[in-house]
Amino acid sequence: MGLLSWLILLPFLTALAIVFTPGTRKSLIKWIALAGTGTHLLLTAFTTWRYWTLAAPDMAEMRTARVMKLYLVERLPWFDSLGIQYFLGIDGISMAMVILTSIIIFTGVLASWKVEERAKEFFALLLLLVTGVFGVFLSFDLFLFLMFYEVAVLPMYLLIGVWGTGPKEYSAMKLTLMLLLGSALLIVGFLGLYSVSGLQTFDLTRLAEVSFPAGFQKWAFPAIFIGFGVLGALYPFHTWSPDGHASAPTAVSMLHAGVLMKLGGYGALRVAVYLLPEGAKDWGLFFMALTTINILYGAFGAITQKDLKYFTAYSSVSHCGFVLFGVAALNLMGMKGAVLQMFSHGVMTGLFFALIGMVYGRTHTRMIPEMGGLGKVMPWLAVCFYVGGLASLGLPGLSGFVAESHVFLGGFFGNPWGSMVAMRTLTVVATLSVVVTAVYVLRGLGRVFMGPVTDPHFHELKDATLTERISTGVLVATLAAVGLMPWLLIDLIEASIMPIVNRLHS
Amino acid sequence: MLMLPELIVVVTAFALLVVDLLVSERRKPILPMIALAGIAAALVAAWMLPQSGQLLGGRFAVDSVSRWFRIIFLIAGGLTIAVSADSLNGRGAFRPAALSSRAEFCLILLFNLAGMLFLAGARDLVTLYVSLELATIPLFLLAAWRRDVESSEAGLKYVILGALGSAFLLYGLGVLYGLTGEMRLEAMSGALRAGPAFWLGVGMVVAGVGFKLTLVPFHLWAADVYQGAPTQVTAYLSVASKGAGLALLFHVLYRILAPLAPHWDGVIAVLAALTMTVGNFAAIVQKNIKRLMAFSAISQAGYLLLGFLGHDGAPGRGVAAMLFYLLVYVVTNLAAFAVIIWYSGETGREKIEDYRGLSKTHPLMALAMMVALFGLAGIPPLAGFVGKFFLFSVASKAGLHWLVGLAAINSTVSLYYYLGIVRRMYIEPAGAEDRAVRVSPMLATVLAITTLASVILGVVPVFFETISFQTADWLKGTLW
Repeated sequence: MGLLSWLILLPFLTALAIVFTPGTRKSLIKWIALAGTGTHLLLTAFTTWRYWTLAAPDMAEMRTARVMKLYLVERLPWFDSLGIQYFLGIDGISMAMVILTSIIIFTGVLASWKVEERAKEFFALLLLLVTGVFGVFLSFDLFLFLMFYEVAVLPMYLLIGVWGTGPKEYSAMKLTLMLLLGSALLIVGFLGLYSVSGLQTFDLTRLAEVSFPAGFQKWAFPAIFIGFGVLGALYPFHTWSPDGHASAPTAVSMLHAGVLMKLGGYGALRVAVYLLPEGAKDWGLFFMALTTINILYGAFGAITQKDLKYFTAYSSVSHCGFVLFGVAALNLMGMKGAVLQMFSHGVMTGLFFALIGMVYGRTHTRMIPEMGGLGKVMPWLAVCFYVGGLASLGLPGLSGFVAESHVFLGGFFGNPWGSMVAMRTLTVVATLSVVVTAVYVLRGLGRVFMGPVTDPHFHELKDATLTERISTGVLVATLAAVGLMPWLLIDLIEASIMPIVNRLHS
Repeated sequence: MLMLPELIVVVTAFALLVVDLLVSERRKPILPMIALAGIAAALVAAWMLPQSGQLLGGRFAVDSVSRWFRIIFLIAGGLTIAVSADSLNGRGAFRPAALSSRAEFCLILLFNLAGMLFLAGARDLVTLYVSLELATIPLFLLAAWRRDVESSEAGLKYVILGALGSAFLLYGLGVLYGLTGEMRLEAMSGALRAGPAFWLGVGMVVAGVGFKLTLVPFHLWAADVYQGAPTQVTAYLSVASKGAGLALLFHVLYRILAPLAPHWDGVIAVLAALTMTVGNFAAIVQKNIKRLMAFSAISQAGYLLLGFLGHDGAPGRGVAAMLFYLLVYVVTNLAAFAVIIWYSGETGREKIEDYRGLSKTHPLMALAMMVALFGLAGIPPLAGFVGKFFLFSVASKAGLHWLVGLAAINSTVSLYYYLGIVRRMYIEPAGAEDRAVRVSPMLATVLAITTLASVILGVVPVFFETISFQTADWLKGTLW
């Protein structure tokens, strides 16, 4: 069994270990979860090193490649008569996403240290969900991909339904059904790819050698793009996201907004644009327009929110819009920006939801107007919140700036298959959202942390505990690391995006 | 020799009658065990026998497809008797749910099973029709078994509408016989000529088959019968009767109407689309869990139909996918029904809301139920997902992308009502009066087997690969 299989299996085995631990030993369960995810982080670091040593010599050659190059490949026949394989591999984009997921789940477990109700089921489901996420990022057989994709979505229903707050049953049902409707579109698209190619295979790398008929691409591209777009909060299919995130418990919001929504952008890039370049050319401008609405709608939506979680959820809708905007720009700069934004937003929003959980655990309210002056009583949390907020409005030196500047440049450079004027106009309009973001972030955070302490009870509250400090500290450090040394990430992903771009141009 | 499984089942049935007279009341729980042993022996025989051959001048034959039908029928029958054993022995805490006269119950079920086995092997019109009636009439008796108002009503409705369905089928087959003058199914296909009488005959046959398979618009009997019949019988109806319908449709399409293969896609697609959609949307509003499962079973029939699509290229693919999904559906649906039988047998409650808090009072039963429901909804990595995906791929290969879309959306819709049950079990708190009730070893064993099977069939490829490989073999012997 290879390295990649272990990356997927480790969370699953941890979940199993938790299942067989007596439910009354809650702290043991948490330590198992922490040990499992901590080991995973180490394993991910090792995989990154392995990947880097293997991939570095090929970088130059990848500039002109049309077929993606995978490393650490594992391939076993599965349902052989239908050409279904157990096919794992990794390239730069996958690597970046695996690093992101590993960080988020580790900090997510730390941030859930206070979960007491049915702790065993909670951590088991959480780890099962991550198993699915790692599976999606590492599998290159479309059947396997779809299988992991749904495994990643479904535990969400119980996680929100059982441990959530507010109208949790409604939110959980809405989220599950909308996401699975998206995957219904994916099933149609994937099976279409399978049957139209005539190759009897779900192998992504082999399907990439086929030029699909234009008529097929014309409907299959939007089907697959929207199918993934639902998970990536594409307007107007984003409505599950604010309700879902607001109702979900802390670690689940972190994972969902931080990682799961990235599956959407990842799939749109990897499957839709890569396999169906002609469809992408036809529909690129349309989706650029849709995602521009996304970006602005999310930003304006966030201004009006009073609840910190809805506030962050709408801001996520806006930021996930950047991801799909970059993908729809159909050039290297835009796609690079999209992947960077996936990473950056994943860390940033993970940080936000972790902090909201911590603040809520102390004040027992998430309503912005009821809070004030919290910076005086909990300086650590306030500083972390501000770092996240500044990253979100694109302050240079933090990861958000790198990602958003790439996306906007990508949009502005445009591509030869749509009207240049339209693309540039859309980009300019989308850029305005940065101003709106600054307004809602600074106003919202100012209300919560600055000024006099509004409620005398707040004086008794304590600042972050050790687990909370580790969890938020790791995330803040990652934001700063990407902001200050963006080339670490860019070098990792650039060579893997080139084949997608080259295929568009051939 | 080729008829060995059928003979074993019939002999077991008669043996039950004799044993029932000889043993004392205290020993009677042995009767369902004898029935189970007989079915197990028949299963071994069906597995070991050669995969092809014929008897009685070609009126009865075995090939790899009918072999798999037989195996699936026997599994369905065996599991049904196993989940019924507790109620037959009067073990349930809720007395009215117990089933009387255990020897007769097993006997009639075995006769019905024999009918289905003969049906799979039938190769001429008379054998086909007689075995179909043998596979139908015992079900009328079973549906009315409990003799209370609902059960009697279910039985009566089933008799009247069932007779109507059989009449359609018989009349249709009669017309086709009149047109061709042939009794052998394969010979009929060569002599058929299109014309008004032909279409009349085909239409009536489709209606008759549609009744058995609960295809929309011939499904109206199903909900009432499923709800009124004893739960054990509902479970059996939902899997076995459906399987018999598929075997019948297989005979009609691939034997009698084989030359029409390129033309039936449209009809099948429309029937499948209607069946899955109507079944699903009707299930959403149900309050009674048996009625919900009835509509869920209707929609599942729609998915199964997809296996008959697509004939240019590789026609056998659809057959393999259909048989595989039928197998998956049998174990998954019976797992869900095992929980329902247990719960209503112990508490007498069968509303969906009665399942609230089940995860607190019986964590393992709730888990088994959730796995079964997710399997029916087609959630990976359960076998239900894999099976449905293969069926969808058949439709996709036939170029019917719209149907794939509709089917996939229907799966999501079905998740809504399955999740409704999961919500009650896992999210809502248990009522104050809800207590843990007894789980018998027999039931626990059946549930463990079916639940494991519904996972393993989806993950371990050998089952599908075997069916696929063997049915591809069948194709070589036919006109394709």
